[in-house]
Amino acid sequence: MPPIIKDNCIACFKCVEICPTDILREGEGKPVVAYPEECWHCGACMMDCPVSAIKLDLPLWMRPVTKKVKK
Amino acid sequence: MSKTTSTDVLVIGGGLSGCMAAINAANHGAKVTILEKSHIERSGAAGTGNDHFWHWNPDIHPKLGWTIADMVRDISFDGEYGKTKGGYIDQELCEIVAAGTMEAVNNLESWGVQFKYDEIFPWNLQYEVPKGEKKYRIVPQFQSEWDTLNYDGRDLKKRLTEQCVKRRVKIFNRMAATGLLTKDRQIVGATGVDMRTGEFHVFKAKVVIMATGMDQSRLFTAPSGNWFNAQSPPTITGDGEAMAIRAGAEVFILQAGKTTNAGFQYMKNLVRSSGAATTCYPAGRYVNSEGETMIKHPAVREPLRKKRENVETSIREGKTPFYLDFTDAKEEEIAYAEWSYGNEGLCWVILEIMKDLGLDFRKDAFELALEPTGRLTDGFLALWINTECSSNVPGLFACSPVQFAGEVAAPTAAVLGWRSGEKAAKYSKEMEEHELDEKQIEAEKIRTTSPLKNTDGFTWQEVNLELNNIMEKYKRYVAGFNPSGIKDEISVTGIKTCLEQLEKLVASKMKAKDPHELVRCNEVINLIDVAKLMIRAAIEPEQYENSIWFLGKIVDNKPIFRKIPIKIKYPSKEAA
Repeated sequence: MPPIIKDNCIACFKCVEICPTDILREGEGKPVVAYPEECWHCGACMMDCPVSAIKLDLPLWMRPVTKKVKK
Repeated sequence: MSKTTSTDVLVIGGGLSGCMAAINAANHGAKVTILEKSHIERSGAAGTGNDHFWHWNPDIHPKLGWTIADMVRDISFDGEYGKTKGGYIDQELCEIVAAGTMEAVNNLESWGVQFKYDEIFPWNLQYEVPKGEKKYRIVPQFQSEWDTLNYDGRDLKKRLTEQCVKRRVKIFNRMAATGLLTKDRQIVGATGVDMRTGEFHVFKAKVVIMATGMDQSRLFTAPSGNWFNAQSPPTITGDGEAMAIRAGAEVFILQAGKTTNAGFQYMKNLVRSSGAATTCYPAGRYVNSEGETMIKHPAVREPLRKKRENVETSIREGKTPFYLDFTDAKEEEIAYAEWSYGNEGLCWVILEIMKDLGLDFRKDAFELALEPTGRLTDGFLALWINTECSSNVPGLFACSPVQFAGEVAAPTAAVLGWRSGEKAAKYSKEMEEHELDEKQIEAEKIRTTSPLKNTDGFTWQEVNLELNNIMEKYKRYVAGFNPSGIKDEISVTGIKTCLEQLEKLVASKMKAKDPHELVRCNEVINLIDVAKLMIRAAIEPEQYENSIWFLGKIVDNKPIFRKIPIKIKYPSKEAA
């Protein structure tokens, strides 16, 4: 899923400034995801968030498929 | 009258190559402007980092008996690998890249990117330095040579941005360049649309450097079915190529390209994890479903033929799927690979997501996406430059996209960027500023902003999808020319007809609800222009018989193609 903006967001809008695919916009008090289907899941917003207020989840069809080798 | 900015050197694209170009053009006294479609701090293929940098070190490699010629052969020609890939390398450019890598590393290091460390590991190249000096973490990447630096490149673009700012390079973020302005074929500037405001801008320049990146994302159906689950930035959509084609530039067309490394390109579902092959060194192994090792170090290209044999044997024996497996590695090897993942833009996110999903390289194996081994897929079009980084259009230089100079993306971008900056700055000193043609500007403004006025019409997504449908036929067509592919009876003239119909249908009938969508519309139009030239190349059967490489040139609005002679000077090491 595109970035989820958590409650500790300080509305600095750094993520809106730098998003490589331009999917974020300034909303009231926090960033909003304006073009969710264009998220590259590159993590730039997470990297540059000064207060770790962004969580990036993957849609089901983007999740790695894994096998447990060791407990 | 549109908003106008004057500059000596205009760099279109502010990724790794564009920043290097801008910095060095400024070093040579030019007034420099960058147009960046995203934001310079995180844009381009290196936007969220790079952990490996292929290089030629004059202090280390000669002592190992290894020459630049060996370097070039290593990334271009190795038996079977060379048959499918090496043939289209530009050897001269490749030598320039190899020779320039150490200067690039030294520059990046002086700007705060860490390349040297107190601690190096048993799997790094062991070499002597004066006591107390730090060392490079050198690892093998290609056939077998110790050619690549592992480093902390996550914030590479931040450091480059600082150097641009320091040199007073004028940076326009969210500025999508739309077209080159010419006067009697001479480049005199460019136009752009602001992706946030929709404002149309004019840039007057003595020289333009094209640095928009080496790909045409979204031209073909994405491997995952989703355009934005992509390895290259999904916004690298052939804008630079299309602008250059419209201005009459010679281009390099690879009818089919990009073989995969023994069939594995990325973790299943995660197209952005493709760096895994290099980045998992030395901990990751490629194993089959029984846990049998097929490829010990994916980063090391042990003879590709051997890898393919192992993969193909496992398929025959039904031992699928395949996995990237770290679990047998030592803790310090896994920790090193995790450090690399953290620096590689393609992989940092995976580490973060793994935490949330409760996954651990120490316990879990990751399924790999298997692609037909050695298959040639997609197509590739780039500008054709000479060793001065100049195109055939006066005043148009390029550093990326340019003809293939070996499978080393970041070093090519860094070195050719740097070189083009110097060459373009010198060129600009000889040039007078030209008057702009207002009619040309007005026509470009109408062409690139009309979707904002249309309330009825096609969205960029539906046009892009239909373009993908057409280009999938092209992909099947070119696959017929791969020795290991299946011959597919598809008429290439039929593909051309489809493309022309699409162009006619959507001409001035696309709609955009805001400036963001407007830029997406223009991207699709650029992709159609690129596709048209690829197809034109494919319908020259006498050219297509023996070669898949073309050089295209537009003369009087008609493309003319000729084959590129395949030159490989160096014999393979085995033969020598």
